[in-house]
Amino acid sequence: MIPQTFEYSAPQTLEEALGLLAAGGKPLAGGMSLIPAMKLRLAAPERLVDLGRVQELNYIRQDGATLRIGATTTHFEVETSPLVRGKCPLLAETASHIGDVQVRNMGTIGGSAAHADPAADYPAALQALEARLVLQGSGGERTVSVDDFLVDTLTTALEPGEVIREVIVPVDDQGTGTAYQKVAQLASGFAIVGIAVRIRKAGDKVSMARVGVTGLSNRAFRASHVERALEGRRGSPAEIEAAANLVAQGVEANSDIHASAEYRRHLAAIHAARAIAVALSRTA
Amino acid sequence: MKISGTSTLAVPPDRAYQMMQDPEVLARAIPGCESLERIGPDEYRMKMKMAMASISGAFDGKVRITDQQSPTSFKLTVEGSGKIGFMKGEGLLKLTPSGEGTEVSYEGDVQVGGTIAAVGQRLVDATAKMMIKRFFDKLAAG
Repeated sequence: MIPQTFEYSAPQTLEEALGLLAAGGKPLAGGMSLIPAMKLRLAAPERLVDLGRVQELNYIRQDGATLRIGATTTHFEVETSPLVRGKCPLLAETASHIGDVQVRNMGTIGGSAAHADPAADYPAALQALEARLVLQGSGGERTVSVDDFLVDTLTTALEPGEVIREVIVPVDDQGTGTAYQKVAQLASGFAIVGIAVRIRKAGDKVSMARVGVTGLSNRAFRASHVERALEGRRGSPAEIEAAANLVAQGVEANSDIHASAEYRRHLAAIHAARAIAVALSRTA
Repeated sequence: MKISGTSTLAVPPDRAYQMMQDPEVLARAIPGCESLERIGPDEYRMKMKMAMASISGAFDGKVRITDQQSPTSFKLTVEGSGKIGFMKGEGLLKLTPSGEGTEVSYEGDVQVGGTIAAVGQRLVDATAKMMIKRFFDKLAAG
């Protein structure tokens, strides 16, 4: 449980950090995945660039109809932020389900996204929120949708030397109902399946449905079949069940010692139905 | 762990078959392959590097091609070991004409052991599928 030797630097500014990363450093955020991997010698980076002291990466602020969240904002900060709870409750609720309180105190939204664990909680919510990520390298910045960002298992659109600077999510008005439901693997807290739902109604019909799914397959994705089956409906229990049963359509489900592919698909349908029902009950 | 699936290549079966027996093509298509060196008839020594998010490691291994039934099927065995664990994959690949191209169906077994499997079990399935997908994507791209 002792990592290989490595150089460590803790820059104070993003510019300084990007310079160190361009020279071949590996970014360290909360360290909730990277440090255990290094201790197990699954990773042996030679130079770590700790982003924890870069103050300009730690913020939550409203910018018109969006919230901008700095990459090193911890899960606990998101979970307890009055701004996030009020304006983007799905993200705060999802953050409250991550790991345990120690992990939430250290782990960061940027670190979670960059690691792209196929069972991480945040990506489900980010998919349902149609979040965008601002990536910055020494050559400049670019903004990508979370769907383009999450390429595959542990694989993202980040180029070498690039970091996530911030995550942009929409401000959800009072009429939008949201919910995150998950089945956690008990030892790790990771999602065997996790479903994030955002629903808006116009009159008594669903006018918008967004469903993000994690844990089921190689990466978090939007269950568009479920969304289309809900939109235009009233959301009766039978309609919810019929829509939720489409959650794994066209998806190659993961299988491991904790849950077979068939069981995962079953859990995903059950919990999609529950998340939809809760989100509907929260639409004003 | 059982793995199976299909992939389509734009070239006819005899050409697809040739490609998948060609060490230069294999070296380009196997994800993370750094070198493939012939050590016997249809047997190659391989150096491979894997880097995904926070996990990375080097593997030393072998690629073997057996049971050749040109141009319809062959068996591909890939094995490797390194500091972070070992893996062995064995699969039967079948080629059938599909329009102008070839449908390649594969069925096999992948075993992963060592540290990577002990702590990363829940990631092994998704990772194996991703590596196979990348292999066929690169083959398709030539």
